[in-house]
Amino acid sequence: MVDVTRRHFIGTAAALAAPAIIRPAWAADTVKLGCLFSSSGTMANIEGRLNHVVRMAADGINAKGGVNGRRIEVVTSDPASDWPLYAQIGRQMLQQEKVAALFGCWTSVSRKSVLPVVEQNDGLLFYPLHFEGDENSKNVVYVNSPPASSVLPAVDYLMGAEGVGAKRFFMIGSDYVWPRTINKQLKAYWTSKGVAATAWREEYVPLGFSNFQTLVNQIRSFAAEPGGQPIVVLTVVGSSIPDFLREFANQGIRATDVPILGLDMVEADLEGLDTAPLVGHLNCWAYLQAAKAEANTRFLADWAAYVKAKSVPFSADTVIDPMVSAYDSVQLWALAAAKAGSFDVPEVRKAFAGLSFADPSGYTLTMTGENNYVSRGVFIGSVNEKQGFDILWQSPDAPKPVPFSPYG
Amino acid sequence: MGEGVRFWILSAFLVVAGLVQPASGGTPVHDRAGFAVSLCGDGAAQSRALDALIRSSGEDAVDDLAAAGLLLRGLLERRLVCLGDTAILLDRIGASDGREVASGAVRPADGGRSPVLGLRQRALVETALGIATLVAGETVELRSKGLAAVERRMAGVPDAVLARAQENERDPGLKAAIGTAAQGAALSSPDPVRRLAAISAVADAPSGAAVSRLSALKSDPAYRGDPAFRAALDVGIARVERAVWIGNGLALLYNGLSFASILFMAAAGLAIIFGLMGVINLAQGEFIMVGAYAAYGVQETFRRFAPGFLDLYLVAAIPVAFLAAALVGILIEALILRHLYRRPLMSLLATWAVSLFLINLVRVAFGSQNLQFGMPSYVSGGVPLYADFIVTWNRLFAIAFAAATLVLTLLILKRTPLGLDIRAVTQNRDIAACLGIRTRRVDRLAFGFGSGLAGLAGVALCPIYSVNPGMGATFIVDSFMVVVLGGVGTVVGTLVAALGIGGANVLIEPFYGAVAAKVIVLAGIILFLQRRPEGLFAVRRRR
Amino acid sequence: MRGAVETLPVTASRRFVPGLGGDPLLAGVIALVLSAALVIVLLQPAPYLVNMVGQFAAFAILAVSLDLVWGYLGILSLGHGLFFAVGGYVCAMHLLSHAYAVTGVAPDLMQFMGWKTLPLYWSGLTSAPYALVVALVLSAAIAFVFGYASFRSRVNGVYFSIISQALVYVAMLLMFRNDTGLGGNNGMTGFPLLFGHPIGAPGVVTGLAVATLLALALVLAGARALVVGRIGRRMLACRDDEARLRTLGYSTTRLKLGIWCLSAMIAALAGILYVPQVGIINPRVLSPDLSIEIAVWVAIGGMGRLGGAVIGAVAVNALKFWLSAAMPEAWPFILSGLVLVVVLGLPNGLLDLATLRLKPTWLRRGGGLG
Repeated sequence: MVDVTRRHFIGTAAALAAPAIIRPAWAADTVKLGCLFSSSGTMANIEGRLNHVVRMAADGINAKGGVNGRRIEVVTSDPASDWPLYAQIGRQMLQQEKVAALFGCWTSVSRKSVLPVVEQNDGLLFYPLHFEGDENSKNVVYVNSPPASSVLPAVDYLMGAEGVGAKRFFMIGSDYVWPRTINKQLKAYWTSKGVAATAWREEYVPLGFSNFQTLVNQIRSFAAEPGGQPIVVLTVVGSSIPDFLREFANQGIRATDVPILGLDMVEADLEGLDTAPLVGHLNCWAYLQAAKAEANTRFLADWAAYVKAKSVPFSADTVIDPMVSAYDSVQLWALAAAKAGSFDVPEVRKAFAGLSFADPSGYTLTMTGENNYVSRGVFIGSVNEKQGFDILWQSPDAPKPVPFSPYG
Repeated sequence: MGEGVRFWILSAFLVVAGLVQPASGGTPVHDRAGFAVSLCGDGAAQSRALDALIRSSGEDAVDDLAAAGLLLRGLLERRLVCLGDTAILLDRIGASDGREVASGAVRPADGGRSPVLGLRQRALVETALGIATLVAGETVELRSKGLAAVERRMAGVPDAVLARAQENERDPGLKAAIGTAAQGAALSSPDPVRRLAAISAVADAPSGAAVSRLSALKSDPAYRGDPAFRAALDVGIARVERAVWIGNGLALLYNGLSFASILFMAAAGLAIIFGLMGVINLAQGEFIMVGAYAAYGVQETFRRFAPGFLDLYLVAAIPVAFLAAALVGILIEALILRHLYRRPLMSLLATWAVSLFLINLVRVAFGSQNLQFGMPSYVSGGVPLYADFIVTWNRLFAIAFAAATLVLTLLILKRTPLGLDIRAVTQNRDIAACLGIRTRRVDRLAFGFGSGLAGLAGVALCPIYSVNPGMGATFIVDSFMVVVLGGVGTVVGTLVAALGIGGANVLIEPFYGAVAAKVIVLAGIILFLQRRPEGLFAVRRRR
Repeated sequence: MRGAVETLPVTASRRFVPGLGGDPLLAGVIALVLSAALVIVLLQPAPYLVNMVGQFAAFAILAVSLDLVWGYLGILSLGHGLFFAVGGYVCAMHLLSHAYAVTGVAPDLMQFMGWKTLPLYWSGLTSAPYALVVALVLSAAIAFVFGYASFRSRVNGVYFSIISQALVYVAMLLMFRNDTGLGGNNGMTGFPLLFGHPIGAPGVVTGLAVATLLALALVLAGARALVVGRIGRRMLACRDDEARLRTLGYSTTRLKLGIWCLSAMIAALAGILYVPQVGIINPRVLSPDLSIEIAVWVAIGGMGRLGGAVIGAVAVNALKFWLSAAMPEAWPFILSGLVLVVVLGLPNGLLDLATLRLKPTWLRRGGGLG
């Protein structure tokens, strides 16, 4: 693996050694894009994939002649799941490398730490994750969905006749801003629907928590109480997801007893699990690997080929939403830059309005220019035996994103 | 797993017979092709067909139910392919052709779609399939599986099904079991005698759900009107509540014990190394990881060379993981720590560097994703023991493993020449050296032994936690607290400390949450150690 | 049993000459620090570089604070990140409440926590001097409570290290909790203003960096004055043989406690200066790994030499900033290799390279400190 030294950082080296040295002039026919995804630390397993996707997308664009007559050069880094380091490397990329745009961050913390940097330097950060919403910076492109456009439809589905007619809710999340905000909005939403506060419970665990015995016991007692169909709204992240699922299955709870709606659960979290006892649990994203679209077939084939050709240390046949969103990010940027005929951030930003792109999910992504959000479709997936998700439901079209939740 | 597969193969055979027989009669199921087409429809159509099937299942012909069972099984396993207005059943997922349901003819299934079940429909399918198996299953084993499935969804099962199954059942044990289930189902029966029997039947199988079911009857008019009913219900509820309370207590004990055994295994090797050499081994967590990766290696080897014995890989991994971790440990001792015994704080930094190195080495070599372990049946799932108390096999495996580790460690320390040497050097290095013990050699072997124990912990943790390069890092602070609290150099102290910390965490967690539990326990230990720095079981300490 | 609990090996005391002339290395480092400040003021390099130098200086202050207790007193704290965080958090609270008072725009944190007004314990933090006092007093108080309990019951050596590590870990878990009230895992970010000026403006960046460099120079000079004085001699005596010093009638507990609290305050100062430059504070600074890393800086630079701590902090962080972007895959290997080389071959850190005493430790009697 290892694209160890891409030599783009000689500039930094020189700058560190002797600030006065004039940095070598770069070939005028390239434009740089920067990646801020960790390949070590707690986020490495899922975030690490995105570096490779951005490269793949750039290679694809370069093969078609690049953007505005220039080749794209991708600069990767390793912020090592260390949030301040995201900001530091982001600053380095914008100021030293003069990257045209940044693609990065998974957790909300890392985005929040990079946010002031891109705002101060008027850079562009493409953020490929769904998140808690309530933010709208002109320097960040929110490529994935805010909760009002993705989580609420999924919860609605579960509460409705088509789903399970859920009446009671056990929320369990990692203790940080995304789960807490999601749960806050959900509670407000349920209140607006006339659900009593006694119908839900809320528990938080530390990040990286793995000992779910007691909590699953609690979920079983909760499920046994009267009051209607219970569901679990799961917002734990990272390595806690497989650990939770394993304990849940081992204690004999099936999706038909108490379904889990795993809001951050992706195909990669099921790697290494026996999913037979987990069949039927749900997740919701703007893309699922099973999406039926020609663009998806092509994307999956491209990724498999790329993994093989570059010996990428990740599974060739697992593709998750953030990977596609990162891919979309590069495409959107390239489209906007081509439309603007420039790589200047203000110009590129102006070009966002009216942009559209048919992405692997089968929906056409659009940007209105009103905000930096992207319209995406909504999928509800159901875990199958093969460590993947079947599509249970998908939205008829890509709903208009709602950055600021009306609830909470 | 194996059992389940056998079950379904049998049921498939059973039902194929039913499928090719000519259909007869007029209830919805008898239109097999129509039923299959409904299953190919949208959620509402599926629900309608399934509801109809369940409603009529008390009277349907046995072979009709068997045929329906085959289709439902196919639907669950996504072997039912819908092509236009025909439904085709494949023998296995991904097969290129299968039998057309209506005609039984073999047809290619290209271009068809296999419907995905919604949760509501999935529950109905499970109920209907349970009924079909209970009524039409060929063996006792199959039928009791069917009964178990039906019992999970008792609310949606018509009374006639159980009555019919009980009547037709030949096996006396199963017949009685069906009878009990039928009794329990009669909680809202108009017949007061049956109701009282139902209350006592429900109370005989206590669970949280039983409490809810019985408590719901308190709003029944009979509760106020009929003193006998009232008394029976109150007694029943009290019985169930007591049983649930005991069951929860057992679960608490079990949770505490399983967490404690994880802590103990992570800390046992550390205790020996720390006690003997005063080396703070920050790479101990990475030895656990090495053990887990060794287990993965064993699994892959089995998969390639002895797939028939794959289920045994976890057992075979025990010596391999021990040796792998011990080897890495001895290597590190020989290359690095040997030079640092005079400088414990520097050896601390050195082991930190080693841990950083190992994590990243494994990351570069294997990638950072979770390893794919196929879990043998003896470490997946669980068995309900009493009320809501479920013994999960993976945790039981860890507990047994920890007990074995404890015995092994004590045996080696107390009964072998190496153990004698380790104890001697731990107590007084200089005198031991004077007596001719080669202390350096003892150090190395003991370090290898301690690392090997960590490797064993890695094997025990595979079925519980995800295995990835960073897995060891989570254990380090906890296991040091165990060692220091227990008192350095005593395995028994480590055990007691692990039990105490594990128990305290599990006790506090339900009240204040997982984070606060950890904070409270750790803060308590810090305070305790300020009062009593030598820990619970002090061997001897110079000041 | 032994090794772990024994006092540190006796080493030959260094020659002590009052004034900076006795330590050309330290004099050189201070001169470099001051000239860096001068260069920044006169030449106005790119804000990015200035900011980086400022961060390095904050790390250097942190390293000096640890060196004071480890190198001179033999107490290895693996929890110094705690004091750094105290400074950082109080500074962040000041920045947020100051900006709130000036602009009237409620910070993200308040919206997220659902606060209509800032809670009581935030009151007064709009005033910078008050915030400074709070940060210093709070860090000293925490250090005092923890230190008093530990030193009185004579917890030392690796025990102290482990327990201090657990302390910082507990603090991290506590701050991870949203209910603790300081932003949980996200911590605090998005500080718009410093003393009324936009925090990203080149002038502010320069000012912060220069202030941090000056603070570093002051801390170094002060620490030097401390360690060459009578207290410094007692510190070394305590490091080398605490029991003997105690037998001679000195209260080692009081000595250790005093220096420990001082060190905590210096670490807090580093945190105060660090946060406005990096623009975020969150529980990551409380992770046990970061606290070990501080010890690594000191060990690599050369413990027991104030200049060494500075060199170590700057060298490791410069490498980290550069390599985690330039060759992310190689950085952890380089860091671990560096630590092993230093620990095994250069008992006094990189300074050994300068003096070319490359003989391995284990061939020399006495060895380095440890």
